[in-house]
Amino acid sequence: MVSRRDFFRAGGAVTAGVAAAAVSKVAMAALPEPVLQPSPDTMPPLLPSNGRPYNPVVTLNGWTLPWRMNQGVKEFHLVAEPVLRELAPGMKAHLWGYNGQSPGPTIEVVEGDRVRVFVTNKLPEHTSIHWHGQRLPNGMDGVAGLNQKAIPSGKTYVYEFVARRPGTFMYHPHADEMTQMAMGMMGFWVTHPKTKNPLISAVDRDFCFLLNAFDIEPGSATPKIMTMLDFNLWCWNSRVFPGIDTLNVRQGDRVRIRVGNLTMTNHPIHVHGHEFEVTGTDGGPVPRSARWPEVTTDVAVGQMRQVEFIADEPGDWAFHCHKSHHTMNAMGHDVPTLIGVDHRDVVKKISKLVPDYMVMGERGMADMAEMEMPLPDNTIPMMTGQGPFGGVEMGGMFSVLKVRKDQKPGDYRDPGWYQHPKGEVAFEWTGALPEPARFAAEGGRSMPRQQPATAPSATTELRARKPGSGKHQH
Amino acid sequence: MKKNFQRIPRPTRLALLIAAPWLLAGCASLSGTGGIEPVQKIAEQHLGQSVGVARSAAEQDSAAKRVDELLAKPLSADSAVQIALLNNRGLQASLHALGVVEAEVVQASRMPNPGFSFGRSKKGEEREIERTFGFDLGHLIALPLARQAESRRFAAAQRGTALEMLALAADTRKAFYTAVAAEQTLSYMRDVQGAADAGAELAKRMAQAGNWSRLQQAREHAFFADAALNTARAERARVAARERLTRLLSLWGTQTAFTLPERLADLPGEPKDRPDIEQFAMSQRLDVQAAKAQSEATARNLGLSRVTRFINVLELELSRNSSNEGPRQTGYEISVELPLFDWGGARVARAESVYMQSLQRAAQTAVEARSEVREAYQAYRSSYDIARHYRDEAVPTAKRISEENLLRYNGMFIGVFELLADTRAQIGTVNASIEALRDFWVAQADLDMALIGKPSLAGAAAPSVAGAAAAAH
Repeated sequence: MVSRRDFFRAGGAVTAGVAAAAVSKVAMAALPEPVLQPSPDTMPPLLPSNGRPYNPVVTLNGWTLPWRMNQGVKEFHLVAEPVLRELAPGMKAHLWGYNGQSPGPTIEVVEGDRVRVFVTNKLPEHTSIHWHGQRLPNGMDGVAGLNQKAIPSGKTYVYEFVARRPGTFMYHPHADEMTQMAMGMMGFWVTHPKTKNPLISAVDRDFCFLLNAFDIEPGSATPKIMTMLDFNLWCWNSRVFPGIDTLNVRQGDRVRIRVGNLTMTNHPIHVHGHEFEVTGTDGGPVPRSARWPEVTTDVAVGQMRQVEFIADEPGDWAFHCHKSHHTMNAMGHDVPTLIGVDHRDVVKKISKLVPDYMVMGERGMADMAEMEMPLPDNTIPMMTGQGPFGGVEMGGMFSVLKVRKDQKPGDYRDPGWYQHPKGEVAFEWTGALPEPARFAAEGGRSMPRQQPATAPSATTELRARKPGSGKHQH
Repeated sequence: MKKNFQRIPRPTRLALLIAAPWLLAGCASLSGTGGIEPVQKIAEQHLGQSVGVARSAAEQDSAAKRVDELLAKPLSADSAVQIALLNNRGLQASLHALGVVEAEVVQASRMPNPGFSFGRSKKGEEREIERTFGFDLGHLIALPLARQAESRRFAAAQRGTALEMLALAADTRKAFYTAVAAEQTLSYMRDVQGAADAGAELAKRMAQAGNWSRLQQAREHAFFADAALNTARAERARVAARERLTRLLSLWGTQTAFTLPERLADLPGEPKDRPDIEQFAMSQRLDVQAAKAQSEATARNLGLSRVTRFINVLELELSRNSSNEGPRQTGYEISVELPLFDWGGARVARAESVYMQSLQRAAQTAVEARSEVREAYQAYRSSYDIARHYRDEAVPTAKRISEENLLRYNGMFIGVFELLADTRAQIGTVNASIEALRDFWVAQADLDMALIGKPSLAGAAAPSVAGAAAAAH
């Protein structure tokens, strides 16, 4: 984290040149120094140095905004501005965000805190901030036109309210919100409980991230803000796999993961190797009697979910959205299915007109992850990522929960690949099995379909290819 | 010329008399080359090529040998022109026609043969021998003038043949470029058809594998059908262009298997800048020169008509008649027609009108020449700009689109059929670029022609495959 002063001294590689509106220095003098974050990496938790104590969260590929105490009021300074966000190594996006990043920094406060948030608008158009899920005076709710005047370009507005209930919240604009949310304007808000709450467990690791989606044409950098549903980049905190950091925990840790959904579809968030309970929603902690054990929880549009589990199984566990297209990066949605269509021999003809043409897709899409072929500028392959056993063939909303015996408390660093104990990895079967007894009774269909006598004989024959019949053997 | 037979002359003394004007008139003789030197000179000067007329079997052999040599290699524009100059039967015919004109000119510039008549008659015992030596005096007097007129006519015929030769050269050049372009288009269309073929085959396999419906397969097959049509059109255009060139080169039999280069020559680095092109053309153009010469000739002919309006009615006859009964009778007779009814005025009026006509024709020729050369230069410049735009902008852009699409195919953002559809979209551009280059070379040939003679500024009008392809999508 750098202060704005340091940031400009450092050369301002990230936001310089994209800042749209000039803000008067005199006007800024009395405000909390805005703090910028140029790195997309996961920052260590920000331990509170003043105010009420709490156990901080870790924002996946993000950070927590520092504050200053002013006569008992926690003062934050958010700067809405154009930012350059790295979605994954090899792809940068022109987004709008707060304090140098999209999503903006996480705001962490404690139940009962009086909070004052200065919002400086350096966007080319007016904005506002809605504090999603908060109990607050109506005039602080941030709906431009309804509750307040929109914050004009170049102006600073202030919001002030008491964080009345503990829980997991979000903030996002409520002025031209279609554009501003499609451009990545959003952030996380966590209100920690003031005192021990029987419904809120103390946890060893507390992760949070927002689900967001962009439609960025391969080779370009700015999201298409008119897209309604056909997004091509499914992100956690404006990052896609392999750009999403792993969740590194110590074996036996009680782990809480807070997820907020600001995309336009639901996301079944799924963890491997463990069961969790949904312990909280936007409405607050879930009564213990109402908690279901799950391995997948659906996070609907505009919702928050917090799940908790004991990370007692060591290993590298996949953690992802269960909509399989959401674990892919940009891809064509009208690409024809070529499975089972051998076309190696027609390549020659095509390559007369398209010299560098290569065959792909006849055995499935895994070719895509295997072949390293040139892509348009500023885009990432549809599926990628190398694991210890080969290609992971993933993208989008995918990460790994790393549970390790020797991960020290408070240490969030990546411990590397899991070292499997002997005999605990799936292996190739080479032996033979005796023929088991089989169940033979087979019933008929209750209502067989009548085939007309002149029915066309063109029935599609199922043609399965046996493994190993192709040139490449895996 | 009429001849009266009267008396019997003694020829010895007359011989001198007859020989005198004949010697005086001089002897216009045949050149032995059929009068093609000026045509050859123009061919060398403006085309850098040689032209000849094959009279003997040996000459024909050597011309045929030269043509065979040129045909052995892939043709170039220059070698095609050279073959046309040596081999085009129409041009050979015209060159021979020049020999005919020369013979006529020589004939006309010679003294008319004197007429000699001999008669023997008996009247009782009297035998009378009549010898008359008649000579068309008028012709003799007009001879120097007639000779000038005839030599002007000969020069005009030579210029005409030269122009014909230049037009043949220009047509050959244009036919050559059109044929090469048609060849290039065909080869590209075959590549396109190959890709369409591949697409159709893939679509078939897609349907066989159960991945596609028959509707989807049929849609993809449509491109194949279009491509086959375009290839057929390109084949036809190629045959038409090649046959036109074959006709201009007067080739037949095995000669028609001549080879053309695979592609048109590249666009030159810079177009020629010619601000003084009108003046230059006016000083060069054979048709302008011919028109000028023609009006000068008619002016002289008009003068001649004025001078000779009475002469035609004058005739001189020498006679020497002898009789066994009387003394020899010698003498001469001049007969003059009385210009009572025909004072030659109509002839003078005709000549005057012809003169005025030729003056106006010359003026029209000059005006047209200026306009033609402007148009030809403009066509040359704009076709250069268009061809350059295709070379520097349209084709590289199409290529860039293809490359970017391939990258998108690599990333599985688009499928192979979209990739093929994109190549379809590029067909129009590639074909149009071939045509633009062809049009430039044709315009260049027109401009070269416009500088020395009347160009045929129709441009290249081969049916456009690109247009057909664009219309089909």
